[in-house]
Amino acid sequence: MLISIDHHSGVPVYRQLMDQIKFHIASGLLRSGEKLPATRALSAELGVNPMTVSKAYGFLEAEGVVERRRGRPLTVSFLKPEKIHVHKLDRLKQSLAPIVAIVRQLGIEKSQALDAFGAMLDDAGDMG
Amino acid sequence: MNHNMQTAFEVKNLTRLFGDVTALDNVSASVPKPSVVGLIGRNGSGKTTLLRHVIGLCLPTSGSCVTLGRPSDQLGPGELSRIGVVHQENRFLEWMKVEQQLRYVGSFYETWDRDLERRMLDELELDPSARVGALSPGKAQKLSIMLAVCHRPDLLILDEPISWLDPIARKRFLKFLLELLQQDANTIVISSHVLHDVEKIINRVICLDRGRIRADAPLDDLQERFAEWRVNVKAGRLPPRFDEDFVRSQQGDSYQARLLVEGASDRLEAFRTRHGVDVVSRPLNLERMFPLLVQEDG
Repeated sequence: MLISIDHHSGVPVYRQLMDQIKFHIASGLLRSGEKLPATRALSAELGVNPMTVSKAYGFLEAEGVVERRRGRPLTVSFLKPEKIHVHKLDRLKQSLAPIVAIVRQLGIEKSQALDAFGAMLDDAGDMG
Repeated sequence: MNHNMQTAFEVKNLTRLFGDVTALDNVSASVPKPSVVGLIGRNGSGKTTLLRHVIGLCLPTSGSCVTLGRPSDQLGPGELSRIGVVHQENRFLEWMKVEQQLRYVGSFYETWDRDLERRMLDELELDPSARVGALSPGKAQKLSIMLAVCHRPDLLILDEPISWLDPIARKRFLKFLLELLQQDANTIVISSHVLHDVEKIINRVICLDRGRIRADAPLDDLQERFAEWRVNVKAGRLPPRFDEDFVRSQQGDSYQARLLVEGASDRLEAFRTRHGVDVVSRPLNLERMFPLLVQEDG
């Protein structure tokens, strides 16, 4: 699991952790039942405060994305495919929001923007 | 449970005068443990004076300071052996070698960690046989950090500790701090105006300005409280001045504006609708947030 933290982006580090772990789950890189690194191990690896890692894990647990059984490591919860799909779309919308603003500022027509986006997806290789 | 067990130090209504000068003005703050606190503020804002109160080197004109559960004017060997301090100015026995200075200071502490000492000497590239009086400012600062850290204190006070270190040494030093934190769950207070460095490790911010507390909050909360909004008109013109009370500053022209906002994340939609504008919200890092913390108005 590759996570990169930007300490100077202004985005709270625990949020960056949550976002990236959820991204890995949505993309299938982290599967249900898979173990997450221990708090200390992850904090040492990323050079972030261990309390920050606990905080991110705590919120993910509260959201039901990961679960902790007594005396066992934190694991990815079983999530229904529909739920994972919702996660994926949420994530996509989040990334597209700034693009929408740029489209508006440049005064590009909706159909032209969609064409450009579609062509780029085609170039990147359609996954079907 | 006794709240002192949860608090590394607590100051209440602390005022300190030096002659006519008010160095600290009715300061109250409470630092939970474990935590890593960035004590930030401009030169002369009272950071060092506050830290000197915490370790009992300064006494309040009025108000109180309790450190590790004891009033800081009554700190005894028990508490003092659990505190580590890096002062702004180094005080060494200059004729000693680095190794002798470490042995000498180490002999006062039962908890002195020889293994940590060896690793720090190695990673911070400090020569044990160098004479203390002949160290460069950077090396002297490394030694003074080691002298404050190697007994694994519960409360570590670092007053501008990294100003003389090069980027590689800073990185290694921050790594040691994280290690201490993981093994001992202690509290670290770093005073600095090098916000870029402290931002990586702190989880709490205390901001002082002209002797007053401007912020005392988790870093996450501050990052979620402040934002920059890039505002673009859809049609017509922007008002010369947005009158929303959460707008702390405004730059730009009739078509585009950059606002710095406080506590406005749930008011974005209403703002868009009211003004008929596009808004992109971005977070602020500590350096960009700092002017907002120390000023009444943007």
